Amino acid sequence: MTRLLLVAWFVAPLVALALWAFADSWAAGSLLPDDWGRRGWDGAAGAGLWPALWRSAVLATVVMLLATPAGAMAARALVRVGTRLRAAAAALLLLPAVLPPLTVVLGVDVLLLRLQLPAAIGVVTILVVQALPYTTYVMYTTYLAHDVVYEEEARTLGASPARTLVRVHLPLVAPGLAAAAFLALLVAWSDYVVTVVVGGGLLVTLPVLVASNAGTGNEPVVAVLSLVAAVPPLALLVVLGLLGRRSRRQPVAAAIRPRPPVAAVRP
Amino acid sequence: MIRRHPGLLLLPALVPTLLLLGAAVVTLGLQSLGLMPLVGAPRLSADAFRSVTPDLANSVGLTLAIASAATALAAVVGLGTALLVTSSARSARVLGLAAAATVPIPHLVAAAAVGLLLADSGVLPRMLGLSAEQWPDLVAGPWWVAVVLEYAWKESAFVALVVGAALATRVARYDETAALLGAGRVHRLRHVTLPLAAPALLIASTISFVYVVGSYEVAWLLGRTYPEPLPVLAFRLFSSADLAARPEAAAVSVVTGLVAALVAVASLLLARWRQQVRA
Repeated sequence: MTRLLLVAWFVAPLVALALWAFADSWAAGSLLPDDWGRRGWDGAAGAGLWPALWRSAVLATVVMLLATPAGAMAARALVRVGTRLRAAAAALLLLPAVLPPLTVVLGVDVLLLRLQLPAAIGVVTILVVQALPYTTYVMYTTYLAHDVVYEEEARTLGASPARTLVRVHLPLVAPGLAAAAFLALLVAWSDYVVTVVVGGGLLVTLPVLVASNAGTGNEPVVAVLSLVAAVPPLALLVVLGLLGRRSRRQPVAAAIRPRPPVAAVRP
Repeated sequence: MIRRHPGLLLLPALVPTLLLLGAAVVTLGLQSLGLMPLVGAPRLSADAFRSVTPDLANSVGLTLAIASAATALAAVVGLGTALLVTSSARSARVLGLAAAATVPIPHLVAAAAVGLLLADSGVLPRMLGLSAEQWPDLVAGPWWVAVVLEYAWKESAFVALVVGAALATRVARYDETAALLGAGRVHRLRHVTLPLAAPALLIASTISFVYVVGSYEVAWLLGRTYPEPLPVLAFRLFSSADLAARPEAAAVSVVTGLVAALVAVASLLLARWRQQVRA
């Protein structure tokens, strides 16, 4: 019973979204929509759903591509440097997660205007810094459990640094990298205040579109916009979950572990 | 080079963070103290803080009240979910999935969904067969119900994830040992499971609380226009046509950042104190 109530608590708002997204008309007294259809979808497309989806995807990808390697490098450094530098650097890198994004963005907006940078560069910079605490933290826990012996072995056997990075190091930390990249993607995908303040309303991402349509009283359109914004992170989560399950069954380390010499297995 | 100085690898993350946060803090400080006005001559004064003080007291109280209510609810529901998911392996998987699916939904989208559910024309009054007049003002009403519920919904999933992860690796072994030694269910919950969950619960609740204190869009979308939580007040002053309101927006932002930082530090001290008491 408790379990059922809790499941209802988690899915109820999503059910509301799904119902409204396909309701053509829904009279005040009815339990379910009277007419199902795609009026909401046509309305959302007219409001600019597809270009906004594209902009959100590009923004999130760019932030992910910058914040993931930077966080990974910082994390790799954190496990190697002395304790004093580690404590100071870790505190600084976690700070953007404590300071409210709105506070940061209201602070730097004047400067960004004076520097006359394109708005997109300002948005990306701020979101990368917002994402860094998460990518750094995830990669830090990854590197704590990471064994450099495999890399040293590869170098001893004559692999170049680049080859060692691509063939040994990256495959070993791949699960951590995937989680870090997902979180960075999520930070940028979910952002509203940074995009709307620095973008000045010209950079219309999905959340900006949801906000400008919410409260207009056109429920099906709001529901469709929200649904389209909610589905990609969920789909990615499912993909990551499936990939994670497969890699647990076939650990990467097993693939690069030195095989026994052929002579030894011959009868 | 990097082999000898691994600290160099910190730079791609550290430099933008330092520049951005430094710029934000310095600008907010100067603006709020009247040293960086958009119009007129710079003059050191506390006018901005003074002129927002009447609103500020209300806003700080409201912000803390919303954050406390939402975090308390999220902690209870999240902890309950984590306990159920970790205790019964198979049958609770649906619950685990439902909670996990809630985490990556953007807050603004979640707020829109809660609006569609709880407004007087929303899905819930329709399902209960109530008319708009019979339905209480949950959205934009005097008690900020929809705002609190939105945060509680999203953050309870987050709490469940963090606490569940902390419990998953360790609780089964200790729980079995305690059971073998003859501890009953209530005793095991009180003396084994809850102490194991407590550190993760404190961290997750702190993160949620700090997030709610600094977050704008949910209260703006689902709340009423007066009084305003700190971020909503700051953003309204910032986007006001009156350029003289910019220092006031900066002053409110400074206070918002301070409240968030104070809560984080207090929770850190609490965690350290707990550790010392146990040691």
